Amino acid sequence: MSNPRLEPMFHASAPSPAFEHIGEPQRFPGPRAEISRDRNLVWWRRIMPVLKSHRLTFIGAITFSFVSLIFQTLVPKILMSAIDRLTPGHHQPIHGIVVAVLIIGLFAGVAGYLSRRFLFTTAYNVESDLRNLMYEHLTWLSFGFYDRVQSGQLISRANSDIRSVQMYFTFAPQIIVQCGIGVIAFGFMLSINVTLALIAMVTMPIMYVVGIKMRQVMFPISWIIQARLADVAAIVDENINGVRVVKSFAQEAGEINRLADASEKVAWAYTKDADIRGQWAPWVQNLPQLGLALVLFFGGWMVTLGHAPIGAIVAFNAYLLMLQAPFMMLGQLVMMGQRARASAERIFEILDEQPDITERPGSIDLVDARGEIAFNHVRFGYAEGADILHDFHANIKAGESVALVGRTGSGKSTVARLVARFYDVRDGSILIDGNDVRNVTLPSLRANVGLVLDEPFLFSVSIRENIAYGRADANLDEIISAAKAANAHEFIEQLPEGYDTVVGERGYTLSGGQRQRIAIARTLLVNPPILILDDATSAIDVHVEAEIHDALESLLEHRTTLVIAHRISTIALADRVILLEEGRVVAEGTHEELLASVPLYAEVLAQTTAESL
Amino acid sequence: MAWGGGWGGGPGMGGQHPGATGSTGLPFGGIPQELMDGVKKIVADEPTHRPANLTFQQLPSEAESRRLTLGRMVRSHTSLFAFATVLVVLISVASQAGPALVGYAIDHGMQPGHHSMNVIITCSLAYLGAALMASLFQRWQASVSGRLASRVMYDLRIKVFTHFQRLSLDFFTEEKAGVLMSRMTSDIENLQQLLQDGLAQFAMQGLTMIIITIALFSTNVVLATWTVLLVIPVLVLLTIWFHTSSEKGYLRARDAIANVLADLSESLYGIRVVTANNRQRHNIIHHRNVVGEYRNANMFTGQIMSVYGPVTIMVGILSQALLLGIGGHMVLRGELSLGGLTLFILYLNRFFQPIQLLVQQYNLLQQGRSSIIRLRELLETAPSVTEVPNAVTLPPITGRLTFEDVSFGYLPERPVLEHVNLEITPGESVAFVGPTGAGKSTLAKLATRFYDPTGGRVLVDGVDLTTVTMHSLRSQLGVVPQEPFLFSGTIRVNLRFGRPEATDADIDEAVDVVGLRDLIDRLPNGLDTVVHERGQTLSAGERQLLALARAFLARPRVLVLDEATSSLDLRSETIIERALDRMLEGRTAILIAHRLTTAQRADRIVVVDQGGIVEVGSHEELVRAQGVYAGMYEAWIASGGRDTSL
Repeated sequence: MSNPRLEPMFHASAPSPAFEHIGEPQRFPGPRAEISRDRNLVWWRRIMPVLKSHRLTFIGAITFSFVSLIFQTLVPKILMSAIDRLTPGHHQPIHGIVVAVLIIGLFAGVAGYLSRRFLFTTAYNVESDLRNLMYEHLTWLSFGFYDRVQSGQLISRANSDIRSVQMYFTFAPQIIVQCGIGVIAFGFMLSINVTLALIAMVTMPIMYVVGIKMRQVMFPISWIIQARLADVAAIVDENINGVRVVKSFAQEAGEINRLADASEKVAWAYTKDADIRGQWAPWVQNLPQLGLALVLFFGGWMVTLGHAPIGAIVAFNAYLLMLQAPFMMLGQLVMMGQRARASAERIFEILDEQPDITERPGSIDLVDARGEIAFNHVRFGYAEGADILHDFHANIKAGESVALVGRTGSGKSTVARLVARFYDVRDGSILIDGNDVRNVTLPSLRANVGLVLDEPFLFSVSIRENIAYGRADANLDEIISAAKAANAHEFIEQLPEGYDTVVGERGYTLSGGQRQRIAIARTLLVNPPILILDDATSAIDVHVEAEIHDALESLLEHRTTLVIAHRISTIALADRVILLEEGRVVAEGTHEELLASVPLYAEVLAQTTAESL
Repeated sequence: MAWGGGWGGGPGMGGQHPGATGSTGLPFGGIPQELMDGVKKIVADEPTHRPANLTFQQLPSEAESRRLTLGRMVRSHTSLFAFATVLVVLISVASQAGPALVGYAIDHGMQPGHHSMNVIITCSLAYLGAALMASLFQRWQASVSGRLASRVMYDLRIKVFTHFQRLSLDFFTEEKAGVLMSRMTSDIENLQQLLQDGLAQFAMQGLTMIIITIALFSTNVVLATWTVLLVIPVLVLLTIWFHTSSEKGYLRARDAIANVLADLSESLYGIRVVTANNRQRHNIIHHRNVVGEYRNANMFTGQIMSVYGPVTIMVGILSQALLLGIGGHMVLRGELSLGGLTLFILYLNRFFQPIQLLVQQYNLLQQGRSSIIRLRELLETAPSVTEVPNAVTLPPITGRLTFEDVSFGYLPERPVLEHVNLEITPGESVAFVGPTGAGKSTLAKLATRFYDPTGGRVLVDGVDLTTVTMHSLRSQLGVVPQEPFLFSGTIRVNLRFGRPEATDADIDEAVDVVGLRDLIDRLPNGLDTVVHERGQTLSAGERQLLALARAFLARPRVLVLDEATSSLDLRSETIIERALDRMLEGRTAILIAHRLTTAQRADRIVVVDQGGIVEVGSHEELVRAQGVYAGMYEAWIASGGRDTSL
């Protein structure tokens, strides 16, 4: 190990071949199938592969559901023959029939249990798969995507949309099977009396049509409700996050009224929804009763004419009752289908999103980079936006530390993000040790480029795990060394549970500066040959920063470092300064050189001085 | 976090506050285009709602502090509730007339040799009439329940939100933000569903069972007794079992989904760190495990439901068989008519349907119940800082602030400030400097009464802050937080936030004083430019300036300014410092200074360290005194800071 970059305390830190450490064993299988990539397919066919990967339990569910329903449809027919045996005039014993019904009941129960057991297994497996697919896809998406999408929305999508698709996919087939019972029941009714069967069923198509009509009217209103609930949620969100502002301006009443106005609109939408529902739902629910009244009239008539037995009326009653639920659910099914389609389409929007940043075929691993960075006439802008960097050209030698200085919007942070290939350049190239960053594997690139971002994000795990985030296998000594280097050890020790304190729990909130120091320790632990500090010490007190600088200085010695900062003290850490203005390099040199020879540099730094007391 | 923003509606939906329309330009969200016609048609009927004019009292009235129950919420809409109840009873009766009519028709119209078409026609018409009545009642009931539910939920939203506003700052930690959000959204929506549909359904199913029992007993007591004896105990036992075990399952599933969402949310918010650290695979496996736990929790509930549903069906069929055996025997012996037996069998069928529906509705009820419990918990959380019952209105102040032997700690065992004494005279500006965690911000939070001291007193113009009303105190204070929070809406709305009655001239003045004019002129819609997503369209410096202008417009007597520490570029810093000079004129001000240049602007500098004030004086005095401040100043100059005092 002669690599000078490896400090003794970070000895075990060379990236493993896989560049990642999987700390916990996988206890549950991942998804066995993905959704279909063919965007032209109908939405439900796109999800079919996932369902197909659980076909055994799914087929089991459908089969047993069918069996159970067959048993259930047998009951009214048997009851009819029992009633006939009891009709005055042909009294006969019915023991056999009673026993038959008992046995059928037992079978129906067992088959019903099996069908649901399989169904739930399928349902929850499909849901797990969709959740995992979504998560895995999101994990690999590029930052261009995250720049334009709100995370809160993604979460709500992952939650309710997956649920509604899952519900449809598992319960729709069951409802369809239950409607299949309609066919069987109709068959039985036909076998009893053709005319009566046709009369009994006459209301069913009407019910279906009314059901369709109903959801057509209901659907827009449910969207209105969603939109208005979102308005309310947005106000609540703002009041939670802006609570200090509301309180300090004593604007509680104003905010309550704002919420009241939004709630009034929600209330109106819900009332409207109830009214529309009231116009349609009763017809759907009571049409079967109409069928029963018809059966009573025509059936009774036929009985008096001797064309049908009394038992037929009982059997028809039972059948229509049995049909009522599935036909009602059929209407619900159509509605569920609409919701599921909308949900699925929103899920597809995410799953169809392709990462912009991908490895080229034949990419090589960047191993133990020396750390030479060349920006070769780079042109770059975010998404569809205007160019932010124009012909940015600079070379950074291995082991050199360079400060990027410029006004806000000059493109400093953008440069940092391009080195780690969070985005791809529009023109030109960025080379590390002569390798275009687009030609090396992403994990190896990122293992070599340590980036401390301006907003230090910590996870709600222990501080120890946070520091070890990039190297799950690090031992406590290494973690403490990293923390010391970032000047974080002292305050961590003072926390009630030291390194095991869980971030964000029980009121042990960390200050911005403390978070930044942990973020620095996190990157130092990885010990990357290239270190980029993007405004990483902005929230740290000046004198604490000075101490970090002392610690950093020894760490920076054999490491390529790119520092983006506003403070002169931080800039002073660097061997060399690159001055950016509107996305171009306008000057390079040491702090003193630039101060002496480049008026713009002095101007940028001195702007505050000119305005002071 | 931006919950739901993107769901926000299209044109004409978002209301005056463009909160939910903030999604413009984002790839997701909004009402699908193909539905817009239907949506427009519905919204066209909407009347203009009268703007709400509610007031806010820090102390809840007696009526407001009563324990939250469903009953109490409904009671304020008694007539709607009574109407709904009557309709529910009528619907239940009308829907259950059928089997009795069929039984009657069989016995009196279809007996061999005693056929009567008249009876059959009468019964059929009665059946038809009952169905029509049921439809009509259901239609009314849907409207009435819908109105009841939306009014009650409106009340509840306001009640809960008002309580939010009463809670003290210590409650609004990052961790609790999600909890607060779900109380106001999913918990209230659960109750909406329960009230709109669930309760009426529940009542109807229960009534149906009672009506059927009555019908059975009035037909044949012996057979009815048999039925009740055979069916009810089994169902009751089964339901109790289901009740207890599914509750357990429900709690488990709820915790598990919370973990899944927490893991997802953290991974998304921290995606840059995840990627930079090559943690993707690790996290995927972790997520699989978390989702797997959730799946298992669901399976547990699934198992219970798999048993309960089919067993109920089985009990239904088995009891039909037994009823047929016993009843058939009675018919053969002439103790029961055939119509009577038919009636029994038909009713028995209908007896099981409500139970099945009750099970389906059970989750709704369960969710509603736990939502109520959670809302109740929230409503019963007392704010740690509140008004005394006889709090007085603070008269207009001159701005003298006094800290009198003040001690404070966020946690009792960890004091942040101990025995602090400080007097700030009217019109004086004081800068607090010191290391992170020394208590600078805490002092400022005590002055604005975001917290109360654990010992000693904070006085303004000689009046103890705890004795005055919050509104009268805070309306005379202005706070500019470290991270300026902007509300979604136009710049104008944001500037006016602290003083809604401010005129356009006032706004223009504030814009000029603070130095925002350049920015406003540059924006396409000027003051009416909509600030998106917590002001992310503006730079940190611009947001800070807006926050300053907002505070300026509120014309506070005392200004508290927590200096922004991060990522202000030099130019913004310059403008802000210039603005500060104007803002401080003739005002008492507390500056929490992270930069010593800012501190030097103040009349006096207070050095806070180790929970107390270690030095007080002007910049020159302190430098001369060669104490802590002088040391900080030296270190700062040495590290490249600019000496601007000369």
